Amino acid sequence: MADPTFVALSVLTIASAIAALELRSLIYGAIALMGTLGGIAGFFLLLDSPFVAMFQIAVYVGSIAVLILFTVMLVRRELIFQKVEDTRRKWAGIGLMLAAMASLGAVVISSGIDAITTAEPAVDFRDIGADFLTTYWPALIMMGLVLAGAVIGAMMLARREDIENDQRTS
Amino acid sequence: MSTIAPKFKFSEFVKSLIDNIFWIIVIATLVGLPLIMIALFYVDLPVIDGTLVTPFLALTWLSHPEVALPLVKSFMTSDMFRIMAFPGFGFAALMAAGTIFIERKMLAKMQLRVGPFYCGKIEGILQLMGDGLKLISKEIIIPAKADKPLFIAAPLLFVGAAAAFVALIPVAPGWVVADVDVGLLAVFAVIGFFPIITVLSAWSANSKFPFIGGIRALYQMVSFEIPLILSCLGVVILTGTLNLSEIAASQSVVPWIVFMPIGAIVFFICMLAELERIPFDLPEAESEIVAGWLTEFSGMMYGLVQLGSYVKLYAFSALFVLLFLGGWSGPEFWPPLEQELLEDGQTIGPISLQFPGLPLFSQEFFSAVIWFVLKTMGVMFFVLLPRGVFPRIRIDMLLQIGWYKLITLAFVNIFVALGLVYAGVIGPGGMF
Repeated sequence: MADPTFVALSVLTIASAIAALELRSLIYGAIALMGTLGGIAGFFLLLDSPFVAMFQIAVYVGSIAVLILFTVMLVRRELIFQKVEDTRRKWAGIGLMLAAMASLGAVVISSGIDAITTAEPAVDFRDIGADFLTTYWPALIMMGLVLAGAVIGAMMLARREDIENDQRTS
Repeated sequence: MSTIAPKFKFSEFVKSLIDNIFWIIVIATLVGLPLIMIALFYVDLPVIDGTLVTPFLALTWLSHPEVALPLVKSFMTSDMFRIMAFPGFGFAALMAAGTIFIERKMLAKMQLRVGPFYCGKIEGILQLMGDGLKLISKEIIIPAKADKPLFIAAPLLFVGAAAAFVALIPVAPGWVVADVDVGLLAVFAVIGFFPIITVLSAWSANSKFPFIGGIRALYQMVSFEIPLILSCLGVVILTGTLNLSEIAASQSVVPWIVFMPIGAIVFFICMLAELERIPFDLPEAESEIVAGWLTEFSGMMYGLVQLGSYVKLYAFSALFVLLFLGGWSGPEFWPPLEQELLEDGQTIGPISLQFPGLPLFSQEFFSAVIWFVLKTMGVMFFVLLPRGVFPRIRIDMLLQIGWYKLITLAFVNIFVALGLVYAGVIGPGGMF
């Protein structure tokens, strides 16, 4: 018997994911995408990891969805999208997706993952932090360096010479 | 005869009244009572004096104070009361309403005006009620080209997000709606919704001033969220927890503002920007873009957005108090009640008085709430103050402050916190 919360979250996540793909209005599509990401945060809450769930909301809903909204609003739609209506491609895509999901699902179910039952308490986020600082410190430093490199690269790409303007003082 | 209702007949009026009463009685008995009966199955009723309180004896409670008071007490500990009334939305809305009035009066005095004056006998004290009635009775106008569902949902979502923020704020030890282990992170997750709601409402109005205001709000909120989060990290490093109640309880000796004044200042400036207060009120700059992203709202929709933003002001001030000013800690106003008094009641000469259920609250609770409210009001005063003295700043200056200065200062604050921990001043084996 499936957990009703889990079923409700799954319906929300999958339905809003489909809506995000299918809706004609880009803004509503972005809102549906937020629903999907929020549903995934709900899954993390069900899995007893509120820390990851809150980061999921703060980063994915709070920042990435905002970024998408921002882009959609500032760019005119006709310039980025060219409508190509092709029912055959659409059905082929759905079929491919179903085949991929069926094969992945078969692999997951046959792996015996549904037979695992565990009564272990949820992992505290403090333990994860301690592990990062002790056992996995090279990985942490690598991540930090990669992120710093990405930020510096983005700043170099976005850099431009300041326009001379007498009215600006600072 | 008035021209508004030329065919008015008193007998018809009485008939319509009686009709209404008839239908109310019919609907209440056929629908209302069964609904109440069904709902009562799911309500946990308290046990008083060894007997379960039944709702079917509701009228007898009124004549029995020894049942009524424990009932009130058990209601006060219920989740519903917490969500709706005390640490939750009702309390925050009351603080918000008080803030609006104090803001108008205080700014007027600062600028040598009188402010609200005529509504109510003393210093226009009923002005808020008048404003509220006006907003409720006003027509809600939705622009013809607006995206209706989003436009209507935006004010409700705004108030909802503000209420979710308030739900995470503890007011006294144990008095919080949602005592989550990752409280501070949850606060940041909730704060992240405000720019989305703002920009969606601005887009849905389909008008140029709201759109400009919404884009400005998005810029401002997203860029000030980063120093906001970074400035809280120092406190998290020192306390080693994300739970807001524990953070507040850790400052019973010295508030963190003593050790981290830089973090407190950064947090305060980011707070002003997140709340769109002057000098950072670019999203609703009334002298350039009418009212910014609020331009197309009218009637109670505008009222809801105002309510939401003042509730948010209360929540941010309370967060500042919790993080830096020690929360509810402070010297107690009254000594705690003696155990004797609690068990046997008060004895005056031959008479001994004892009411079951009294005292409703402990004295510690009272002094905690009073300290918390006093500190929060102090922070709110400093949030309101710049509106009277500062002009609005330009958007490039705003982004410059946010991205260069505040982030740098927030990092300085983090290193101050780390230095305190490594020097052994705070933490295991330290002074506090």
